[in-house]
Amino acid sequence: MTALRIVIDLLIAVGAIFALAGTIGVNKMPDTFSRMQASTCTSTLGVVGVCLGALLYAIFFKQDPATAIKVVVIGLLVITINPVGAHAIMKGAYRHGVRPDKEMKIDDFRRDFDE
Amino acid sequence: MIDLLIFAVLLGALAIAHFYRLIKGPTAADRMVAGDNMDILISCAMVLYSLYSGRGIYLDIAIISAMLGIIDTMLVGRYLDTGRWHKR
Amino acid sequence: MQKTKFPAVLATFVLCYAFWILLTWSFSAQELAAGAIVSLAAALFSARFFIHDKAFWFLRPARLGALIAYVFIFLGELIKANVDMAKRCFGGCKNIDPGVIRVPVGLKGDYAQAMLANSITLTPGTITLDIAEDQEGQAYYYIHWIDVQSTDPDQAGEMIKGNLERGIRRIWE
Repeated sequence: MTALRIVIDLLIAVGAIFALAGTIGVNKMPDTFSRMQASTCTSTLGVVGVCLGALLYAIFFKQDPATAIKVVVIGLLVITINPVGAHAIMKGAYRHGVRPDKEMKIDDFRRDFDE
Repeated sequence: MIDLLIFAVLLGALAIAHFYRLIKGPTAADRMVAGDNMDILISCAMVLYSLYSGRGIYLDIAIISAMLGIIDTMLVGRYLDTGRWHKR
Repeated sequence: MQKTKFPAVLATFVLCYAFWILLTWSFSAQELAAGAIVSLAAALFSARFFIHDKAFWFLRPARLGALIAYVFIFLGELIKANVDMAKRCFGGCKNIDPGVIRVPVGLKGDYAQAMLANSITLTPGTITLDIAEDQEGQAYYYIHWIDVQSTDPDQAGEMIKGNLERGIRRIWE
């Protein structure tokens, strides 16, 4: 049982480390689109790590199927719906006129739609 | 089982760290991304706190909170795109 | 607007009812009856938005096996991209070189294209901005890439989505 505890703690710690990386990225990246890219780090492996750890804990220590299923539902929900929101906010920001300070290396979207 | 509480507090602190971008962010999209991330982190912290304290109600609140956060991100993105809430 | 078809309603109803049972997790007769009524109403209302094609397309062993294999391919790509992105974030957010690039896509069908676009968005470092089609029916993605390593469309497409596209083609064809 101690080994299982160590595995659970490691999974949650990995999730927390990636959440920390996403937080640093959101606060320090230089332009809007790079901040969005960094925020994806939190919502993928951060959520997966925390939910896997919580799932193992709910199965082996609490022995409660309802809790385990709700944890799985939260993980799947965030993973499957989040890219739709990311895509919508990114396209909205671009069409609204947000551009990075530094010129981008290649910009096909502006070439095809902006002129 | 104190380590679950420690991780929950850590995730909550990370969520609070997003207030910097939420207040300063120059555009609406920045603020929305920071708010969305805060929402997801608070859902994760709620899952861990529910396992620590043994109260199942926090899991339901976490599900609803994750759903609503993503829906309002989509609404604001569509509003910035076309200037209205829905497609013509 | 599309008409509501019976198999689509049936599939949506089964999905909603399974979700209800999973969330409540109690098997008294009252709960089951209430769940049936609510999920039937939800299915009647939303089936025409939810399912456009054949409803029971997925119930074949080969497709389910390909889907399970795809989950593992996707997890591998996800971990690689996440470690890369975390290195950039911890290293001071300086070594980035963003750009929007247009890459061609070889998949047919709405579901396959949406699944590939969502998978690309989920991997950190790449976000799909838009899907467009030219006159010949060839689909293109506009992808924001945080570190542009190649401006040639085919080579960039192979670097961004090579494994994912092969996995998805095995599911939907």
